[in-house]
Amino acid sequence: MKTSHYDRAHHAKKATGVGDPQCFKGEAGLAKFKVGDRVRIKDLPDLFYSRCQVYTRGAVGVVIVVVYESPAPEDEAWDNTDKSEWFYCVKFRQKDLWPEYPDLYANDTVETEFSERWLEKA
Amino acid sequence: MNASTKNDTSAENGEHRVDLTPIPLLETIRAHGRVWGDLAAQYGVTNPDPPWKVNLEATCDGLSAEACALPLLERRQEEDELSASLYADVPFPERQLLALAHSMIKRGLVDEGELARRMKQVHERLTSV
Amino acid sequence: MSDKPHEHKPAPMVDEVSDFEALEIAVRELAIEKGLFSAEDHRRWTEYVHTLGPLPAARLVAKAWLDPEYKKLAVTDGVKASLEVGVDWINSPPTGFGTPSDYCNLRVLEDTPKLKHVVVCTLCSCYPRPILGQSPEWYRTPNYRRRLVRWPRQVLAEFGLQLPPDIEIRVADSNQKTRYMVMPTRPAGTEGWSEEQLAEIVTRDCLIGVAVPKPGVKANAKRPVHPAVHPVHHDH
Repeated sequence: MKTSHYDRAHHAKKATGVGDPQCFKGEAGLAKFKVGDRVRIKDLPDLFYSRCQVYTRGAVGVVIVVVYESPAPEDEAWDNTDKSEWFYCVKFRQKDLWPEYPDLYANDTVETEFSERWLEKA
Repeated sequence: MNASTKNDTSAENGEHRVDLTPIPLLETIRAHGRVWGDLAAQYGVTNPDPPWKVNLEATCDGLSAEACALPLLERRQEEDELSASLYADVPFPERQLLALAHSMIKRGLVDEGELARRMKQVHERLTSV
Repeated sequence: MSDKPHEHKPAPMVDEVSDFEALEIAVRELAIEKGLFSAEDHRRWTEYVHTLGPLPAARLVAKAWLDPEYKKLAVTDGVKASLEVGVDWINSPPTGFGTPSDYCNLRVLEDTPKLKHVVVCTLCSCYPRPILGQSPEWYRTPNYRRRLVRWPRQVLAEFGLQLPPDIEIRVADSNQKTRYMVMPTRPAGTEGWSEEQLAEIVTRDCLIGVAVPKPGVKANAKRPVHPAVHPVHHDH
């Protein structure tokens, strides 16, 4: 099992008094998506570590908040923190996530966050 | 669309996150250790949690900070798997403690023998008058 | 006979050392000796954890109910709104930049008469500890984490909460750095209440979203915990 070699001293210097993810503000450049955009969750291969839930893969949702900039967890776990991405909160209809979700509750939804690499325009 | 959750602790695809071979020291504790529910009932203590629960939480936090010896997501995934199998009959938070010790031993962070010896010393230290 | 001084009975204590207590100490001492973390850090973490509880979050909600401007702030900048209830996500000990499991991005989810939020972390049970304290055991179980996102109405019904079908139940899954708390709608029957009275009925379960505030209800419902001995399989 891999161990994480996160450079905590460097992170502490950068983030103390500023906060995490606040310390990565400005590093991700222009956000590719905006509130209201319809996006599809890509099914990228994840080697060992991912925070993108399988239940969302391939689903289409709507961006409801552009939340913050941060290294993607897939990179952060391996100490590749040079690059940051924009993170988005995406809302899905339950019916688009689970085929058997009852029609009676058609308004029900799920919201969860993704880094930009996981999203494509739908 | 795949409806199962990744990082599923049930070994549906044959993968295990942690070696589930029982560890004799922890099996002994599991079988004979007195859990807080019993102790509190016996002594009439109303706290819902044992006093050491906060220390355990801080240890878990410490392990995912600093040297990052045992990152959060890995620890929790192993805890999930152990809680569903080896330590399923142990109440919380004793279960979390056993899972932590199990993960640390399997990762070589602590050794079963030294843990047993230290436990004995701790017990003597705390029960000596 | 002269008045006897009021006799204080000492609080009952557990008078034995369990194997679990000894194991916790042994693990911690060995971890410190091996440099996995320092004794000083552990002390600071323990002190920090001791200070945490759900009261600040309850007060945040009560304040928001009474002050529309504060409500707007809470919904747009949860970290700033937390400062007004004494919670500093960024500068608190132990680290000065948030903790590895809590980070510094609180989002307050505003319920409306047509929208009910409920919070989960399907991956590992992340929770907004700085403003809500330690998570309850049921929140951490695979049972809750797997079932809430897929069968929210069933899980909420088990908590005693049933909502009309036209209401949108929105499950918030905190899988990244954002941590969520729910701002429930203010119930009827609380007209003229003070902030303190309002905060009293905003229980931890209301702040997670599995309960709604009710006048007179100041405690979380007792909930039997069923260990997930048979993990849920996702084919039914």
